[in-house]
This record gives sequence, C-alpha cells and structure tokens, in this order.
Amino acid sequence: MTTEMTFAQAAEAHLDDVYGYLAWFTGDLAAADDLAGETFERALRLWHRYDPRRGSARTWLCQVARTVALDHFRSERRRTRREQLAAVPERFEEQFAEGLSHDLQIALGVLTAGEREVVALRVVLDLDAVTAANVLSISPTNCTTRLNRALKKLEEALHVAA
Amino acid sequence: MSQRDLTAELRGARITAPDELRERVRLIAAADTTPTRRFTWRRALVVALPVAAAIAASIVFTRPSNNHAVATQTVVRGAILQHGAAKTLGPIGAPTTMDSAGAGGAAKLAVPSTPGRVQTYGAYLALRLHSATAVSDGVKTALHIASSLGGYPTSVHASSEAKVASADLVLKIPRAHVQEAIARLSALGTITSEQVDIQDQQAGLNATDRRIARLQKQLTELRAQTPSATTAARIAALQSQIARLQRTEAATRRTAHYATVQLHLTSAKAVVPPKHGHGPLHGVVVALTWLGIGAVYALAIGTPVAVLALLVWLAARFVRRRREDALLSRS
Repeated sequence: MTTEMTFAQAAEAHLDDVYGYLAWFTGDLAAADDLAGETFERALRLWHRYDPRRGSARTWLCQVARTVALDHFRSERRRTRREQLAAVPERFEEQFAEGLSHDLQIALGVLTAGEREVVALRVVLDLDAVTAANVLSISPTNCTTRLNRALKKLEEALHVAA
Repeated sequence: MSQRDLTAELRGARITAPDELRERVRLIAAADTTPTRRFTWRRALVVALPVAAAIAASIVFTRPSNNHAVATQTVVRGAILQHGAAKTLGPIGAPTTMDSAGAGGAAKLAVPSTPGRVQTYGAYLALRLHSATAVSDGVKTALHIASSLGGYPTSVHASSEAKVASADLVLKIPRAHVQEAIARLSALGTITSEQVDIQDQQAGLNATDRRIARLQKQLTELRAQTPSATTAARIAALQSQIARLQRTEAATRRTAHYATVQLHLTSAKAVVPPKHGHGPLHGVVVALTWLGIGAVYALAIGTPVAVLALLVWLAARFVRRRREDALLSRS
C-alpha cells in the first residue's frame, strides 16, 4: 500500500479482513457486523493518525477493530453482570464461516475469544508473528505461544470428537 | 487431523462481509473529508529544535556580563547645588552604577564648577593600581600634579604591608583647575569609586554682603550723630561686627578658591575582569556550556520523573493486560 491510499480505498480493500477478524474474535456474525461498522466509523475519525510507515492499513484497521471489540466485550460483561448471567457462557456461533467442516466448527467452541483472535490474525488473515503481536499489543513470542496453544486445543477437541 | 491440515482448513474458511455492511462502510468512507496529514512529531521537532537552539543562543549571547560590570563599575554619589538649586547626580546614600572609562580613563564625574560663583568643591577618587610600587609612584605623581596646578597637599598617608599598599591623600587644588586635576589623577590607575560634592556658597555670601552694607549704613548714621559715649560704643560694636563678617566672608572665599580632592590609592587585588575577545569559537563554547548545564539539570530532575512515569506506565499496562486476558479468557 502506498502513502497515497485514501480511507475509502483502505476500507474497500480490507473490509473482509476486518469483518472476518471480528467474526472470529467475537464468534458472532451479527456482533461482527455491528462492530465492523463501528470500526470503520472510528477509523475514519482516526485516519489522520494513520502512518503508513509504521504498518499497513490492514494492521492499523485490525488494531482499531480490536479496540472496538474489547469495548464490546467489556460492555457485554457489564451487561451480563447486571443481568446476573455471568455464569452462562457465550455460545460460539456455528456455521459462521464457509469451508469449515462441521467438526471444526464444533471444536472452535472450545476456544476462548483470545485464542480465536490469535487464530484469526495468524492463520485466517495470515499476518506474521510481529504484525499480529503488534495488533495484540503483546510480544511476538507470546503471540506464537498463544497460537500454538489454540491450535493444540483445537486438535484435541477434534480428536475427542473423532 | 494434524495441525497442518487444521491450519489449511482454517485458511480456506472464507468469511465475506455482507453486502449491507459493505454498502454501509462505503457510505462511511464517502464522508471522508480528512485533510492530508501535515503535522507529525518528526516535522514538529525539525522546526522546534532549531527554534529552541536559536532562543537558547540568543539568551546566552545577549545576556549581560555581570563580571564586566563588576570590573568597570563606578559608584556615583552625592548632590550638586548649583545656582541655589539641588542637582542630584544619584540617590544620596544609595550608590548608582554607571560605566567608567576603566584603567587610565578620565573620571566621568569631573563636574566643572560654575565660574563667577563661590562654591566649595569636594571630590573623592579611589584608584586601583597594579602594585605597591605603583602606589608609591602614584603618590609622588599626585603630589606633582597638585603642585603643578597651583595646589598643595593637606595630608598624605601611605602604608604598605607585604605586597599590598595603600595611600590616602587630601589635595587642595585651585577650583579653576580641578577638572584637569581629576582627569590627570584618574589616569594613575583604575577608578573603583568616585564622588563629587559641590556646595554653592554664593547665596550665603550675598546675604552677608547685604548685612555688611546695612551695618555700614548704620555706622555712617551713627558717625553723623553727636558723639557720645553710647554712640562711640555702638560704633565700636558695629565696626567689630562688620570686621567679623568680612573675615568670615574672606575665609569662605579662600576656602572656595581651592577644591578638596581626596585620593585613595590601593594595590589590593582586584577582581580579574573576564577575558573578552576570545577566539571565534568562544560563543559556541559558552552555548555548549549552558546546554551542558541544562542537560545536567534535566537529567537530575527528569530521570526520577521518567523512572516514575515508566513504572506507572508498566503497572498500567500490566493491569490492562490482565484485564484483557480475563476478558478474553471466555469462549
């Protein structure tokens, strides 16, 4: 991407990535839809801060999306606490991505949001460890560790299902 | 399923944004009126640093030199009474500083007396000479100056101890030559202090003249009267009074004819004036010195603050990450 990229071009080019990331992160397509809209609204307001020399537009948009998603998680947690439903775990939405086997869709339900997030960034969006770690505000080593742990959990879940 | 197959399947999973969302994002992007980013910290630093350096340099270079003022200051005190009116040179008792000509320069306070009026003129001059020998020579030269101008010394006191010598002279100089005398005496060394006092006596003498005239008139009238013992006694008293007034007036005029010049010479070590006219890099050295001083202060004050800020930032980051991890640990 060049420094001349406009916000409209960045939004058009990376909408699917941002939406996919949010879908994996939240495990909820409806929430991902809402959060993606909110992400691009916030990104438009912050676009003047975007510096292409510090990273790609996709990475920057994922960072904004993550902040929006974290706010969403926090507000959801407050809401569930108010409603005294904190003990009820959220269900990972099934059939939210095309091309996944039924077993894998089920197995994804064992992952936490943090684990799904790292899988989305590293595997689905195919970001390298440094870039993904940058989005997550953690070290690349920690990022790789989280990914390995998530994949191992998935593998075990699939093994159990089989 | 191996991890390789797993990741391959995950990568193959496609999540496409719905058309409605795509349209919504296009509408959001259409509202983009964000101007091109012009301000960056790097650009700001490129401007701010030279400006800060220029300000620092201007402060350093335009800062008045205190040392210079110490080396060349002249203390001016006293008031001049001229034509019956007070003409103040500086606050009495409160020294006023002004530049002097420095070593060998003429005194600034060689105030001329008014010709034709009777005035008592007093001057004090303190000079610093480079050695005890110079003080001794200065005493001789001062006496010579006084005699050459028709004056004379009324007191001379000189002392020396080790390499420090001092001398105090009181010279009587004809008032007509006092300016020249002060100028020549000033040339003996570096002026460290000077003071001029001029007291106008003309008004008092005029009053005395009028009083003498009145007494003489009374005397003439008494002499015209029939002589008697009482008249003779009054005539004698008036004559005595007139003679006393005339003596006083003559004494005042004699006193006013000479100016009193007190001269203090000393070889005491003086404040060494700072060297001026250093090399072309002197300004740079001064600027760097100030920058160094500033850097030391900044380090001394800034380091604990920076360490504290770093600790706070680390603690805040730690707490934030813990909260995030807790938040994202749910499925």
